[in-house]
Amino acid sequence: MAVHVLNIVKSLQKLTINSRCRLAPTLHKRLIPELPTNEVIFANTTRNSTNFFNKLPAEALWKGITSVSNAGKKRGRGKRVSKKNIKDLNRGQVIGVGKANIVWPGLTAPIIRGKELVEQQKLPEDPEREKKLSELRDRMGNIRHAKLSPLERGWSGSKMPGRSIGPPDPIGEDTFDGFDTKVLELKTVFNMKGNFGRKRRLSVFVITGNGNGLAGFATGKGIESRTALRKAKNRAGQKLMHIKVFRGHTVFHDFFTQFGKTKIFVSQRPEGHGLICHRAIRTICEVVGIKNLYAKVEGSTNVQHVAKAFILGLLRQRTHEEIAEEKRLHLVELCKENGYFPKVLASPTSCRKTNELKHDEVLDFTQYCLDGRVILKRKTFPPFYTKHRSWEIYLKKQEKLRNHDKVRVHMKAEYGELRSFLTEKYPEARPAKPKLKSEKDANEEQTEN
Amino acid sequence: MSIFRNLQGILTQIPFKYNAIYPVHMNACLIRLLSYVPAEYGPERDPAPLYFNPEVQSLLKSLTRVNLDRVFRKRKLGDKALEIPTYKFMTDEQLQETIEEAKKRADELLQMPPVVQVRKPIDRIIVKDPALQGLDSSRHIFTDVSFGIKDSDRLIVIREPDGTLKEADWAVRDRMNQLYFPKPCRSLKMPRLFQEEYLSNLLSHKEYIFVLDRACTQFEPDNPDYQRVTSITYQHINDNDDFEILRSTRHFGPLAFYLTWFKNIDNLLLELIETAHIDNANNLLQLYGKIHSVQYNTQELQSLEGITEYIKTAAQKKGPLELAVQAYKDLERQRNELKQGIQVAHGLA
Repeated sequence: MAVHVLNIVKSLQKLTINSRCRLAPTLHKRLIPELPTNEVIFANTTRNSTNFFNKLPAEALWKGITSVSNAGKKRGRGKRVSKKNIKDLNRGQVIGVGKANIVWPGLTAPIIRGKELVEQQKLPEDPEREKKLSELRDRMGNIRHAKLSPLERGWSGSKMPGRSIGPPDPIGEDTFDGFDTKVLELKTVFNMKGNFGRKRRLSVFVITGNGNGLAGFATGKGIESRTALRKAKNRAGQKLMHIKVFRGHTVFHDFFTQFGKTKIFVSQRPEGHGLICHRAIRTICEVVGIKNLYAKVEGSTNVQHVAKAFILGLLRQRTHEEIAEEKRLHLVELCKENGYFPKVLASPTSCRKTNELKHDEVLDFTQYCLDGRVILKRKTFPPFYTKHRSWEIYLKKQEKLRNHDKVRVHMKAEYGELRSFLTEKYPEARPAKPKLKSEKDANEEQTEN
Repeated sequence: MSIFRNLQGILTQIPFKYNAIYPVHMNACLIRLLSYVPAEYGPERDPAPLYFNPEVQSLLKSLTRVNLDRVFRKRKLGDKALEIPTYKFMTDEQLQETIEEAKKRADELLQMPPVVQVRKPIDRIIVKDPALQGLDSSRHIFTDVSFGIKDSDRLIVIREPDGTLKEADWAVRDRMNQLYFPKPCRSLKMPRLFQEEYLSNLLSHKEYIFVLDRACTQFEPDNPDYQRVTSITYQHINDNDDFEILRSTRHFGPLAFYLTWFKNIDNLLLELIETAHIDNANNLLQLYGKIHSVQYNTQELQSLEGITEYIKTAAQKKGPLELAVQAYKDLERQRNELKQGIQVAHGLA
């Protein structure tokens, strides 16, 4: 018996894991008389023939169906193929486990269980196995990113520009409390060199700020987006600038600013107006702490230029004290909500007399702040349809409806329902209530019956 | 009949039946929610000649204590968006000029609502024509809508179905006037906020200015409803010592006049002494003297003589008032000591 076991062990040791390897015929022959004939399922089907699938490795096979040559691409071929479709067919496969559910002692099962020798045998087929494998393969390739919450989204979908990436990393014990960094631009840049060839990197342009007049911007480059973002964020934290914010919500005065071909006209707005401007300017304002402003960009809208022009303008703002001192006149605010009560914003140390004012002096505050520049305001023409006769007809028809909404609200408040002056006497004199769908169906059924 | 250029349309059988419209609320009104009994300027004595007296007006104005920042405080004007403020460069003279203009506007804004006697009900039958009996099932209202007549002088008469021709009562007059000559922000029916259940809620939220402003737009000053609403509001303010809310508004004068008229100035006097406004306290006593024809020694505005006299003779809250006067005296003494101490330290005394 001992010799018998030894033989089996020896024979199993000779077995290689490679499925392609065939068992030595000698072993086969030797084992046949000794093993019970009814349970022999030992030999694998051989693959003697060479064909397309066993000649090439999986990588080459996949490449063949998921790529297209450069020339082909130019002709518009291979638009639907993608490297995403490549599947690793080896995943989920275990050596020794296959379609035929066979127990292989020493490979998929122990050789001796208790005092018994485990015998090689065929178990009934597992119908679940195929299904599990195909499921696993289906899941491969379509990796979905977790959906961003609307608060986390940037300017467009899941793209980085406009998204917030947190405060710059602390340096030693100095932390950037209350800071937030927002991405303004993320783009691919290339560098060409004789020896290295074309090198691809990502360039990120970010702005960081504490929402209270402290902000800085910087670019960072890296092969991976994560490193580029980190670099840019930390560099921005090192380049902070103080920005003056009027009453914690807007700019001190209207101003014009330019960087390269980008020209921006910025104007102050009252509370509740919001940020009506280019999205890059809006993002900068959010980070700086400006809440109300109108800005019009003229010329190039290159994001880096827009940002630089805007920040340049913000830094060049003059406080009201400076302006009053420069002009040697009181600066007074007149506001409708205050009943146009003159509120002195700033006074000079010595004020000029009325007769000291020059006849050609710029005394308009906005003109003064824009350096004599005049913003071109286009005339707004009435829409084309107002000239049509149909518009007049429409207006005539609308005339009798013009107060319906107010009457409706008033009646609801007064009587709790819409009614007419006859309703009290004739309760049916009420507007018909819109029927619910379920009621309608019920009625129809009744009529059919 | 040529005066009646316009005939008022026939009123249907169901015009403005308040009871029919608000059955629930009328029941609710039976339970008095506020513990205040409204006091009107009744027929016994007319407050108007006293109130419009320039001396009284100036006293009321000094009691109002005009603070331009509060007069021109930020108001919600109901606009969709705030207007962009304008900025101007000004010399000293120009600034003074604009401030003067603003002061003039403040005077207009602070013009006090009139205080008059409550109106007498109208019940005058012009003629009875039994021949016209049964001519129509509803009454006819005739309104003179010719141009240039005051609302109070407008001729409005009613022909009853039984042929009686009589002058319209106040409710009909108000309705007709508002119908033909609508005043802005005045509604045809009294808004519910003046019903006691809603009014008490508003007052508990200290919306005094809103209530008083709205009452001014809705009612004529001799309307009993106006006097009811203002009286309850004034009493609420007096009980809760919320005088500061009405300061620098046009309603402070009528409030002070109301409290003085009904001899209820103790709370206001106490507040004035506690906040060390002795001149205002003396003004108040001058007003009290004028209305009730008493004489207090209030010639010197900073002296406490008149006040102590009042406390002795007429005050109802003697204890707290005396304590307040004592506290004021202590404060004054300490202040003087400090002043002297400073002067000694500077080597001046």
